[in-house]
Amino acid sequence: MKNPNETPPEQGEQKVARRDLLKVGGALLGAAGLAQFFSLNSLAVRNKSEGQEGDGPKWGMLIDINKCIGCNYCTYACQAVNNLADDMLYNVVSVETTQSGEEFFLSRPCMQCAEAPCVHVCPVGATYYREDGIVAMDYDLCIGCRYCQVACPYAARVFNWKKPIEKSDKAPDFGMQEVPNRPRGVVEKCHFCTQRIDYGVERGLVPGVDTAATPACVVACPTGARVFGDLNNAESPISKARTEASVTLRLREDLSTEPRVYYVPPVAESKTPFIQNQEG
Amino acid sequence: MLSNIHCPTIRIGKRSVNVFPYWVSLLIAGIFFGLLGAVTVLRDGLHVTGLSNAIPWGLWISIDLSAIAMGGCAFVFGVIVYILRIKRFEVIGKLAVLLGFLGYSTAGMVLLFDLGQPLRFWHPVVFWQPHSLLWEVTMCVVLYLSVLIAELMPIVLEHPVFHTHPWLTRFRWIGNLMKFAHKVAHWFHSAGPILAVAGLTLSLLHQASLGATYSVLAGRGIWFNQSAPVQFVFSAMSGGIALLFLSSVFVFRVMRPGQVSDEALLDIARIAGGITLLLTYLRVWDWAVTNYYSFNRTIALQTEVLDTVAPYTLTFWLGQALLPIIAGSILLGARQIRNFRLLMAVSFLPIIAAILTRWNYNFAGLIASISYDPFTPDVILNSYTPTWVEFSVGTLVISYWLLMFSLAARYLPFQSTKEHH
Repeated sequence: MKNPNETPPEQGEQKVARRDLLKVGGALLGAAGLAQFFSLNSLAVRNKSEGQEGDGPKWGMLIDINKCIGCNYCTYACQAVNNLADDMLYNVVSVETTQSGEEFFLSRPCMQCAEAPCVHVCPVGATYYREDGIVAMDYDLCIGCRYCQVACPYAARVFNWKKPIEKSDKAPDFGMQEVPNRPRGVVEKCHFCTQRIDYGVERGLVPGVDTAATPACVVACPTGARVFGDLNNAESPISKARTEASVTLRLREDLSTEPRVYYVPPVAESKTPFIQNQEG
Repeated sequence: MLSNIHCPTIRIGKRSVNVFPYWVSLLIAGIFFGLLGAVTVLRDGLHVTGLSNAIPWGLWISIDLSAIAMGGCAFVFGVIVYILRIKRFEVIGKLAVLLGFLGYSTAGMVLLFDLGQPLRFWHPVVFWQPHSLLWEVTMCVVLYLSVLIAELMPIVLEHPVFHTHPWLTRFRWIGNLMKFAHKVAHWFHSAGPILAVAGLTLSLLHQASLGATYSVLAGRGIWFNQSAPVQFVFSAMSGGIALLFLSSVFVFRVMRPGQVSDEALLDIARIAGGITLLLTYLRVWDWAVTNYYSFNRTIALQTEVLDTVAPYTLTFWLGQALLPIIAGSILLGARQIRNFRLLMAVSFLPIIAAILTRWNYNFAGLIASISYDPFTPDVILNSYTPTWVEFSVGTLVISYWLLMFSLAARYLPFQSTKEHH
């Protein structure tokens, strides 16, 4: 398939062509190096955590795995208060096993990380840190790209695939809806019932102590496995419970997300050196 | 001019049939089928897709990433034509701009359906969040698409219809509008080098950041990889330039014989071949660093789990290592081989490899995800099957790409009538 018009290239032309190719190659290599440098070093740099600084309250939760009986009341209360359908749960209770093979219930709200991957990745700032450390959502900003879902190592985020339901079947048995419905197509998450915390703090109540100011899941727990309070206050229920517990751990500490949800591990596990190392 | 364009024909008996109208009709049918899915997803929401909370990114994001990769030739040839001023690529540079525009507009279109709130697509442009890689990618894509439009406009406006159509004189406002458009196009054309620098910066930034979008996510194990950004850049260049070679042989050698010298076409194949080999070298080193010199139990487990449901390891060694080495070597020797049919067939391989890279990247971390169980962490196997709506919207955007390319190949005046500079 040779073109009849084609003439063999001159020697000089070929030299020029080689120089051209070298030029192109050099320029591209340099540019690619720059791109790698920028994307990994300056643009991808994490914004400073707003979580650990400041003297104000920092709300946290402690879940004692030894007390959890897997009744799912925390999940039901959360569904009722946030008006959640059965296929979109902020709080999930699953059955896991210890290293020795014993089964236990792992109850998982949002970890409210101080270095939250979801906050770092959100392209519009719809996910943000509140001053009290809670990772909250602005549902009017969210574009529904679901990068936060991809980024969250705890699978704590749920997308609103469908229109919001009229009324959760867990209401009124486990509580009444306390927050407005979110539109279809935004990502939602557990927010430690900020509506209760804000209501309580305004009226001088203490979240973690007064039930009206405490997250619904904590109030609903029949065995007291969940403890809530200010991590910065030594007198708060959570600080006392953390001191009482010989060992606590957080999920996926290897990722340095600095969760504000602590767990008291099963008794069998708390004796293994693996766990004790985690708390340092 | 236009009369010299040869459209591909097929022989049926003794008749020679021009395939162009049938091909365009087929693509328009594809667009209509796609619109069905598009209307369904916009009306009913994303629950009509096979996506779930476990796999929030699926077929559409894979198409989106691949389309952006296929536009990877535009910035390379912007630099070659406007900054390095290598004259013999000037006409091909216009085709590269077109491919860039098609890649990015396709990506933008499919993203619109993938967003939960499509009407808020402009939010990242207004509500800045510079520490998010997706924000940076969005800004670069928006700005780069504008650059590509500015580069494409003068090329499109050179078509005789915008100079000699009777309506230009019959309706004065159309005539004035065209005069203004030509003036703007002239500014854009004079700003070519500036646009080329802007295009290079923007597109390198976001091609790299698309890799980083995945690779900063430590919690996903297999995605957490330092070299992903540079791999994404090089695979976009390798696949994009291979596509440019394929399409420029078709547009210039088959349809417009004599407009571009064979030497220039062969040089594109050589550039594509060189970058493909470089990319494969980087990929094999990356494999060595993550799988041979270091061992991560979770990543090993993820790979094992992926291998049980898909030929994950095989696609790497075959599709991203072995075949690209062969393809790259053949393309690099294009001047010696000079067989355009063979070179065209081979140039499909880097294109497939670039798409495969993105496909595997997008799904690997989601299909095999790591559990948060504190004592016996495990790899969970998630499953995802695209629904007809996803295939339908996929057909829509791919038909759009092919239709626009076909119309441009047929009607776009690549050879300028005016004297430049």
